[in-house]
Amino acid sequence: MMQSGLELKGISKQYSEGGNQVTALDDVTLSVAPGEFVAVVGPSGSGKSTFLSVAGALLKPTDGQVYLNGHDISALPDKALSRVRLQEIGFIMQSSNLVPYLNVLDQLLLVKKMSGKVSPEDKTFAVTLLEELGLGSKTKRFPEELSGGEKQRTAIARALVNDPNVILADEPTASLDTKRAHEVVQLIAQEVKHRNKAAIMVTHDERLLDYCDRVYRMEDGRLTLVSR
Amino acid sequence: MFLAVREIMHSKTKFSMIIVIFVLLAWLVFILSGLGNGLSTLAAAVFKNMDADYVVFQEDARSSMSKSVLTDDLMQDVKASPDVKDAAAMGSSLATVVKHASGGKSNKVDVAIIGIDAGSFLEPAVIEGQKLSDQSSTKVIVNSTLRDEGFRIGDTLRLDGSKEKMTISGFVENQSYNHLPAVFTPMSEWRKVAFAAPGSDKGIKNPVNAVMLQGENIDPAKIDKLLSGTETVTKNKAVQSMPGYKEESGTISMMLAFLFVISGFVLGVFFYVLTLQKTNQFGIMKAIGADNRFLSRAIVSEVFLLTVISIVTGVLLTYGTAAILPSAIPFKLDPLLVVLYSVALLIIALLSSLISVRRITKIDPLQALGRVE
Repeated sequence: MMQSGLELKGISKQYSEGGNQVTALDDVTLSVAPGEFVAVVGPSGSGKSTFLSVAGALLKPTDGQVYLNGHDISALPDKALSRVRLQEIGFIMQSSNLVPYLNVLDQLLLVKKMSGKVSPEDKTFAVTLLEELGLGSKTKRFPEELSGGEKQRTAIARALVNDPNVILADEPTASLDTKRAHEVVQLIAQEVKHRNKAAIMVTHDERLLDYCDRVYRMEDGRLTLVSR
Repeated sequence: MFLAVREIMHSKTKFSMIIVIFVLLAWLVFILSGLGNGLSTLAAAVFKNMDADYVVFQEDARSSMSKSVLTDDLMQDVKASPDVKDAAAMGSSLATVVKHASGGKSNKVDVAIIGIDAGSFLEPAVIEGQKLSDQSSTKVIVNSTLRDEGFRIGDTLRLDGSKEKMTISGFVENQSYNHLPAVFTPMSEWRKVAFAAPGSDKGIKNPVNAVMLQGENIDPAKIDKLLSGTETVTKNKAVQSMPGYKEESGTISMMLAFLFVISGFVLGVFFYVLTLQKTNQFGIMKAIGADNRFLSRAIVSEVFLLTVISIVTGVLLTYGTAAILPSAIPFKLDPLLVVLYSVALLIIALLSSLISVRRITKIDPLQALGRVE
């Protein structure tokens, strides 16, 4: 067992759908160390989103354990899970998942606000982070005024603002053209290395796998290593 | 507050419209309360202003001035009763007075004649002129609204259909009875007016309508036992028993009650629909770590902010309305009632936001990861 990073051990997830038992995840084991960027690809319906939901403390597995920095989070109550998501996990979701009435800086400060007061240091850190991601001139813009790439970069900054140990990206390039998609994934890879985060990206876009350290394929709930 | 302020500032049109609706509701609440207060003042100010705790009526008179006749000879016994600090008799009747204006044109006014003993605790303080005096029983003090109708100190009032004449010696403020301006006369003068027809006093010596009592610890049952043929009630009960009073204030209260319910529903439904629209947004925020408390507080503080803005605007508009309303409309704002209704509206609004809070707690953060491929 690793003392840091994210580790999934023998994860299974079954749904009952119309009286039938559907197995979404079947004995999935995966560990991601800090500084590692791992991709999971697979067709839709393969269990990718269930996998990410379990890794991201959004869904409890039927069987198996999820270790975050060596702590088992698979049995925590809901309230503790939302705490874990806030402090330990940074989510990068599909574009348009920003809060529409908050400007770029406030998107980041919202995360700080969820855990209490926003200190001047928090604000400075948020501004630095945005500058690093090339959004220094857009801090006062609202999501509707941003391009798709800028929105995703804001989402990356939002995922990083609480300095979590794990970054989870869910189809971060779903609505981007090839050029922007490369930019965004490159940026995620760069931040993961630079800030030493354990990162998992779920995608169906095979063009972007060069940025990842390892690639897994998900098929019918089973995870297999494709390349290293 | 963080989310509430930013959301309101970002969607000004949407929230202005909600504010406008709630301002109108609050405005109507305050105007109705002003009208209700004005009407009840007009109906019973004389009674309400009296510094009395209990009222002794004739038995079977149903606590009504107009039906009750007692004899003034009771006073000795009443004053000697336990816990009674002071007692004073009063009489009331309605009359039409005629004023002969200097221009030769006569001027008829309906008034309420209130008979009291000069110098008793029932006599209101004059704002102009002289108090009542036992020596000159035709000198009367009248409500200041008569001044607005052209009456002055020293003017003579003649009772319509009678030769009885009275002289205005002073003005008092806020004294109306049965929606009419009050004319306070010494008891002897009132008896001449009220029992002008022979035999109308039913043979009662020194008749009065009621006796007002001071003393918070009075036991009405004890008083009634001591004086036979009387019924003692609280002053509030006596006010409620005035003809038309209950019906009038009941109508206003019913409208107010409906308004409160409507306000609650309008705001509650508005925010519920807004919350439904934002389900996905709340899901995302939950996915990145917001707990139910954080999101519920955001919604409640949004409702709080909008309600406070609306109520303050409503109060300002109400005072503005009061300033331009014609004096013929009985509108009287009671600051205490304004505060009370403001707080009530705020509480109702906050309670109504709980429907949205309940909805928020049911949102599953998982849906934030929903596919849009």
